[in-house]
Amino acid sequence: MINLVVALPAEARPLIDCYRLNKKTTIGTFRVYQHADMSLIISGPGKVAAAAATALLAGRNSPGKQTAWLNIGIAGHATYSTGQSLLAHRITDHATGKSWYPPQLFDLPTTTGSLLTVDVPENNYHQDLAYDMEASGYYPVASRFSSMELVQCFKVVSDNRKQSTATVTAKSCTQLVTQKLDEIDTLVRALTSLAQEVNHWRAPHPGLEQLTAQWHFTVSQQHQLAELARRWQVLMPEQPLWLSALEKQKNATAVLQSLRQHLDSLARV
Amino acid sequence: MFNIIYIERQVADHPRTQAICARFPNAARVECDRYGEVFNPNSQDFRLQKRKPALILAHKHKGRVLQAPEGYGLGSDSNWYFSHMLNCLYDCRYCFLQGMYRSAHYVLYVNYEDFGTDIDTILESTDSEPCWFFSGYDCDSLAMEPVSAFVEHFLPFFASRPLAHIELRTKSTQIRSLLKRTPIPNAVIAFSFTPEEVYQALEHKVPAIERRLQAILQLQQAGWQTGLRFDPLIYQQDYQAQYRELFQQLFSQLNSEQLHSISLGTFRLPRSYFKNMVQLYPDEPLFAGSFSDTRGMISYPQSLEQEMTDFCTHELLQHVPESLLFPCTLAI
Repeated sequence: MINLVVALPAEARPLIDCYRLNKKTTIGTFRVYQHADMSLIISGPGKVAAAAATALLAGRNSPGKQTAWLNIGIAGHATYSTGQSLLAHRITDHATGKSWYPPQLFDLPTTTGSLLTVDVPENNYHQDLAYDMEASGYYPVASRFSSMELVQCFKVVSDNRKQSTATVTAKSCTQLVTQKLDEIDTLVRALTSLAQEVNHWRAPHPGLEQLTAQWHFTVSQQHQLAELARRWQVLMPEQPLWLSALEKQKNATAVLQSLRQHLDSLARV
Repeated sequence: MFNIIYIERQVADHPRTQAICARFPNAARVECDRYGEVFNPNSQDFRLQKRKPALILAHKHKGRVLQAPEGYGLGSDSNWYFSHMLNCLYDCRYCFLQGMYRSAHYVLYVNYEDFGTDIDTILESTDSEPCWFFSGYDCDSLAMEPVSAFVEHFLPFFASRPLAHIELRTKSTQIRSLLKRTPIPNAVIAFSFTPEEVYQALEHKVPAIERRLQAILQLQQAGWQTGLRFDPLIYQQDYQAQYRELFQQLFSQLNSEQLHSISLGTFRLPRSYFKNMVQLYPDEPLFAGSFSDTRGMISYPQSLEQEMTDFCTHELLQHVPESLLFPCTLAI
């Protein structure tokens, strides 16, 4: 599962077409597009809007599951040519000076670079880095729901010292994103696959439900049961989470004790 | 090796920073105020980052040389440890670093000279008593030598301070910088081992046992003092046969008389580290075993700990005198 956060409809259009996303719903002022493994939200410009849209999308995800996140959009840059792309390895909020450092695990053709989120469009490009208006709103929110490795930010340079923001139009935004669809897709696949892998490691034992339906476990006992089920999965992956000894147990405490004894005996054979 | 090097602004112009960056001309250099901004955020996954750790170059401000816990050591009363680096090139599944840090990035403190000053301060305060300084607690002492030049810096330092003894603890075969130097009597190069089956299952990216053994032999031939570390001892169903075979393999080739010390201790971890490690690797068979939880420490049940320690001690005594053995039962 991957969530895409995009500021402008013109940036979103090529992605909606490429991934054949359907307009699912409008929530407040946010439009959300979706298919089975991907959601895209159009946040509108600015970091507050990006933070709100990110939080809204996060609230729609399955709790406890790791989701990949990608912010895609245009950016200004002091020295990069228009059409050049970058994956942010540092995101700094201009107003507060706070920085985030998305870990870079992938061997991708995309260059990594620093990104400064500003509150108003930047036309002076004082520093040799990329300028956007959303990343510092998006990143800290998304990384509260997924680990930072799964939260990335991809920008295509739309303006620079030679070509100011005045030249950026809806059409040029669409073109810039369209030209980078291959790079974006590589990143989307890599992130999605990583999120799937993490969720696979952390998937609870499928037999847990049967036990919790039969006996009442307190919250603390549910944690103990999940831990025993994890050990069961490792030690006996082929066997269902069940013992004949459980049939006669009257309560959750006795069930936990039976399972623990069985696993401890297996662990030291 | 590194795609990204994070650099604290304070050390950006440090000669060691410059030298390290020159080794990786293609790595992106990302400045930060303090390394904790990169290393400490909550929402990081050590397991994922271990696939491609970055390098962080930083300044260690305080707590550079710390007293070792009471009872830890190799016979001296004054025992200290220091870490010029956090995290390890290798990926041993039993390693406490996975449970201690949120990030798998390598932090390298480049202000070696300040570590030296602190060691001198300790030496001045200890009335000509020999002191032991253990490196290789939060990292492997030798594995990153081509990058860190740690040995290159610290061996001359210790060579001129005969009362200060250093243990370099390692699983690495990066011994070139040692072989090109004249051995010093106050340094011990201590190699860690587990049996082949455990090595295959749990010691990812670590040089093979035989290669490590050859490295010790080379060091012994060159006149260096060497040590063996069987810590942690890992339980497997046939651990007795496994450890007996490991000891046989090592002692059939090593010159026991040139061994400085052997230490051993069973697998044990603070509860919070263990919980973090289980969360990272729920599918790891090592963590599906039977453990006891006593006063915040996770370890094998006491009877098993005792059995393993007794067995390995007994087996080791077939090869070396008791004076070389240093059991370690302390918490990490």
